[in-house]
Amino acid sequence: MPVTILAPKAMRQDYGQADKQNISDDSDDADSSNGGAELDYAELAKADAEGHTHKRPRIAGGDFEIVTPGEVITDDPQWMRGHGTYVAAGTTSIISSVAGTITRTNKLLSVRPLRARYTPEVGDLVVGRIVEVQAKRWRVDVGATQLASLPLSAINLPGGILRKRTETDELQIRTFFAEGDLLVAEVQQLFQDGGAVLHTRSLKYGKLRNGMFVAVSGMGGGGGVVRSRRQVWTLEAASGGGPIDVVLGVNGYVWISKHVETPEGLVEKTSGITNLDESVSATMYSSQNDRIGPETMREIARIRGVVTALVDNGLRVDEDMVMRGYHEAVEMAMVSSVGADDIYLGGERGEQLAAVLTAV
Amino acid sequence: MPLDTSAYSLALLRVDGRRWNELRRMHAQIRTQAAADGSSYLEMGHTKVMCVVTGPSEPGPRRSAVGASGGTGVGGGSGEAAQAEVAVSIVIAGFSSVDRKRTARGDKRILEMQSTISNALAGSLHTHLYPHSAINISLHVLSQDGSLLAALINAATLACVDAGIPMTDYVAACTAGSTSTYAAGDEAADPLLDLNQQEEQELPGLTVATLGESDRVAVLVCESRVQVSRLEGMLAVAVDGCKQVREILDRVVRDKGRRMVQEGTIEKGVGVNDMEID
Repeated sequence: MPVTILAPKAMRQDYGQADKQNISDDSDDADSSNGGAELDYAELAKADAEGHTHKRPRIAGGDFEIVTPGEVITDDPQWMRGHGTYVAAGTTSIISSVAGTITRTNKLLSVRPLRARYTPEVGDLVVGRIVEVQAKRWRVDVGATQLASLPLSAINLPGGILRKRTETDELQIRTFFAEGDLLVAEVQQLFQDGGAVLHTRSLKYGKLRNGMFVAVSGMGGGGGVVRSRRQVWTLEAASGGGPIDVVLGVNGYVWISKHVETPEGLVEKTSGITNLDESVSATMYSSQNDRIGPETMREIARIRGVVTALVDNGLRVDEDMVMRGYHEAVEMAMVSSVGADDIYLGGERGEQLAAVLTAV
Repeated sequence: MPLDTSAYSLALLRVDGRRWNELRRMHAQIRTQAAADGSSYLEMGHTKVMCVVTGPSEPGPRRSAVGASGGTGVGGGSGEAAQAEVAVSIVIAGFSSVDRKRTARGDKRILEMQSTISNALAGSLHTHLYPHSAINISLHVLSQDGSLLAALINAATLACVDAGIPMTDYVAACTAGSTSTYAAGDEAADPLLDLNQQEEQELPGLTVATLGESDRVAVLVCESRVQVSRLEGMLAVAVDGCKQVREILDRVVRDKGRRMVQEGTIEKGVGVNDMEID
């Protein structure tokens, strides 16, 4: 029996219409060799006049240049492939391997995925949690595809900021960080396979306490925390909350805590390096929380509400948004019947908050 | 309940009113679970499945997930593996079919589906980019009405796209059957696309998955006796069906991506066309 395969009619019509209405760049599914859809002849003529090649026709109304896995981005050999793309064997076409948007750096084409796990880069400020203690290093969950490692030599050892590690330190490795401890660190180095090495050799970094941890999506793509100028700042909380520290890890892990005087602050008050050493060793690796007043706890919870509301409504999380969101949340609580204790920012209230923030 | 095959030849309509080359209604969503790395929900007719992908991540302590396969040449110690391993687990809900059956722990059929899906996806996913890691795919069957393996493969593909795991292309799957049983020496048997439960029980059928728009077959499973002369027709219909399924899956991903760009969750991309080399 000869088989002729007819396209089911109803379906094709459906999609055909959808194409016309809102999708500009998808006929290139069917005809991906030139990566384009509807030819804009006027545009082409102009391009010709300017001496450009019209090999790749303009994609009409290309506002949302989403590419999906298997889609040919270009078959022009002048481009180089970056992340999120591959070159099929025996051809020069660059094909997308993830769903996302195209980014370009000179001749390098890469696709930024709609969402993916955090990919570490050198210099990133990350918040992590210790999951494993080994002989000379810790393994830290930073939300990446692999656990990051924190060598014993890359932390501030007590009794002097820059001191060589000794065997005694190795033996008491758990007194610095144990399983489950949270820390803020910087990515120092990357391995070939994408694994990261962290360091906390600065008074800005180290163990975290007195606060609350929130995990949202990070720099992999798809909103959440974005890389910005400042990832760590202190804010003065409303209604007697006192100063509060916010640490936005680039990996999407957020730490909100009561502000305690940093050793840097102590340096100004005390004089002499000996005092500093003592204060470093006393507080740096303590797992004991300080006393936190109910007002401070309430404001910490409110900031957490702001961060989750931002993420739920698809907004970016950075200092500006968190601060504006926080002030707005305080206002919202003031006008509510409960007063300042109203910290609920889920559901409709979260949407309301997001609407105010995007309106400005 | 025997299928009244004589009715088909009268009006060329199947039990649910479809023609031989029509898919059932297919509906899919991605990003259904905010906490997961990738997630999807997929309906093919009344077959409803959902999928959650975790990873690529460091393989956890419970590393004995069944159906583990890390592509080619991966030994037992995946800690040193040069490629990510793809572990699939399938849970079939007790309420998913008409008769409430308790599925045994090591059900051979489920194990086979797990390893089939694992192998198919490991072939498309770029697992070499994630050494020493694991991709856990967890599938839940909520309702069964035929073409279960195909629905599971499609749901897993969507969830992997959502998780942002690089892949060569979509792995799109669908089933095909033949209008007459193996025993009937019916020369004029028509191939059928996308079998439902009733057809699957009565008629010979096969599940096919292809890699993207190409004709490269990634999965071919036939669990029934079928006359070899009918196989070619069935395969051709199934491969064509897979291409339609790919279009539908692609549409779901594009719609989601477009919405994310509109909402400002992700930045707009640049068109390759308006790129001037600086």
